[in-house]
Amino acid sequence: MNNKFDALKDDDSGEDQASPKDSEKEKPEEDDKDQNIVKKKMVVPGPGEHPLQYNYTFWYSRRTPGRPASTQSYEQNIKQIGSFASVEQFWRFYSHMIRPGDLTGHSDFHLFKEGIKPMWEDDANKMGGKWIIRLRKGLASRCWENLILAMLGEQFMVGEEICGAVVSVRFQEDIISIWNKTASDQSTTARIRDTLRRVLNLPPNTIMEYKTHTDSIKYSMGRLPWTGEC
Amino acid sequence: MSTDCRKTSATAIPSSRRVNIDNADHIPHDYSTTPGGTLFSTTPGGTRIIYDRKFLLECRSSPLARTPPRGLPPIPGVTSPASKEPNEKTINGEVENKHSITAPDMSNTGDEAQFEMDI
Repeated sequence: MNNKFDALKDDDSGEDQASPKDSEKEKPEEDDKDQNIVKKKMVVPGPGEHPLQYNYTFWYSRRTPGRPASTQSYEQNIKQIGSFASVEQFWRFYSHMIRPGDLTGHSDFHLFKEGIKPMWEDDANKMGGKWIIRLRKGLASRCWENLILAMLGEQFMVGEEICGAVVSVRFQEDIISIWNKTASDQSTTARIRDTLRRVLNLPPNTIMEYKTHTDSIKYSMGRLPWTGEC
Repeated sequence: MSTDCRKTSATAIPSSRRVNIDNADHIPHDYSTTPGGTLFSTTPGGTRIIYDRKFLLECRSSPLARTPPRGLPPIPGVTSPASKEPNEKTINGEVENKHSITAPDMSNTGDEAQFEMDI
């Protein structure tokens, strides 16, 4: 028993997470512990299910009003919903989650490959970037579904480059984005853009913006890291 | 399926799908892609597991896809129904605003026809 918890603690200690203040210690650690347990049990496709090329994890985050903006508070605000390895397992989660268009407030769904945190600081993301599409209200649910189905079905054809996708519900618009590993790889980013146009059925004049995560970090000083706002 | 084959005369290859191209943008950007669909090829390093949207949507109705997921964390209003009206606090009146404001800056979209299904 003791060993198990020690092992989990060790896993937590590294990376970018500063040690929480004493007063906050209890809760975050518990969350992390749970998340690690989820991570350790690698999900596998059940019998008769259709395997996916990669395992994925659903995450949810919501801005807590009045909280200071920092990487640390972001990590504490983001919740793992669950991981899946097959088409059927995906639908089980998806069907039990609210559509993004029905979310209230300032919140996001993230769908990332298992093992990649939906954070700029993750090793898989730190050299990467994202395509951003701003949507008027009413389109997010459908666009998000088309986007993640294309990602799960490997429609982007960019090898290992895709990291995950995000839908961000904001006051006057919603934003969907897809993250890839190597922002400097122009043939990859061009191919992702073209696939997005195809799978989202966007009109030719839709504005799509590519943003590197290093730029996002640079221009987001003092802002919440996941807001998606420029 | 087999009931479809009333005659044994030659019929079209089943499961083909017609995609009408009415916009140059929908033309695939490489030769191994079918319009609106899947790549039929292997990629360096092996075959990838590729599913198109139609197939994935079909899987949704299978009994395997309908059982509730294991270990779904209860998040009110997200993974579990918010008790009737969402009892979440409105943040600076955001929630009300959301309904009364219709995004004023549609200049960058101009995509009225995008999702209109029926006219």
